[in-house]
Amino acid sequence: MSTSKPAATRVQRPKVVIERIYRARPQELWHLWTSKTGFESWWGPEGFRVEVRTLEARVGGALHYDMIAATPEMIEAMQRMGRPSSHATRGRYAEFKPYQRLAITHLIDFLPGVKPYESTLLVEFFPSGESTRMVVTLAPMHDEEFTKMSTLGFTSQLAKLDNRFKLSTA
Amino acid sequence: MKMHIDVFQTLADPTRRRVVEALRHGEMQVGEIVDRAGIHQSGVSRHLRILHEAGFVSKRADGQRRLYSLKATRFRELNDWLAKYLSLWESRLDRFGDALEVQRQRRKTARKEKRS
Repeated sequence: MSTSKPAATRVQRPKVVIERIYRARPQELWHLWTSKTGFESWWGPEGFRVEVRTLEARVGGALHYDMIAATPEMIEAMQRMGRPSSHATRGRYAEFKPYQRLAITHLIDFLPGVKPYESTLLVEFFPSGESTRMVVTLAPMHDEEFTKMSTLGFTSQLAKLDNRFKLSTA
Repeated sequence: MKMHIDVFQTLADPTRRRVVEALRHGEMQVGEIVDRAGIHQSGVSRHLRILHEAGFVSKRADGQRRLYSLKATRFRELNDWLAKYLSLWESRLDRFGDALEVQRQRRKTARKEKRS
């Protein structure tokens, strides 16, 4: 149903593009990004769940939620690192074009040793017959190295070097 | 896995990436790289030296000839690192797909109940 590929889209900031095709209308996908129940049903890394505190579905609207360690292993891991098992996360809808395009800007203030910064992810929906192609463009934030790379103006063309990522979208 | 930042600096140069692209066709001499990459020989030699020092390119002698080729290990490291990052998003979008399915089933059920 899906493939993914990193791509260099702009110079100056590293970008990774992940695409998926779902057998659904854009409206159905949109709901999962812009409603409390929808967002809570899937967002968050493995081992975490989220509880939305504020969700204002409009341009500039707040998206505040708690990121909560949800499995005993993750709770234990957070304790071991001396980190709380819940983190108040702040974001906002930087772009909001219903069923077409959405951007969420997050304040990244939880990486140890890394000065807080903003990271924006862009989501675009392209309907095609019964399906919708969802394209997520990310400024990676899960690795400190990627943060450093942002300052180097690195474009992730390196991905082109590997056939693994040369698959086209099915 | 931690990647040393020099690895990224090495490949951040677009000319060096052209040299790497040329070498994807296999082992070759400087002259061939010059033809394929369309860069002046002195530039190619300099970039080959940097790529060699960074571990992306290996060099061997064959009589009078010096042959250059890509070294897989370094690229595999990069690939593994990138794949690790992507896998976080892959699993997140797997959950998105599951949530979408649950949402669709609920709506279907709700529609049926409304009709009956």
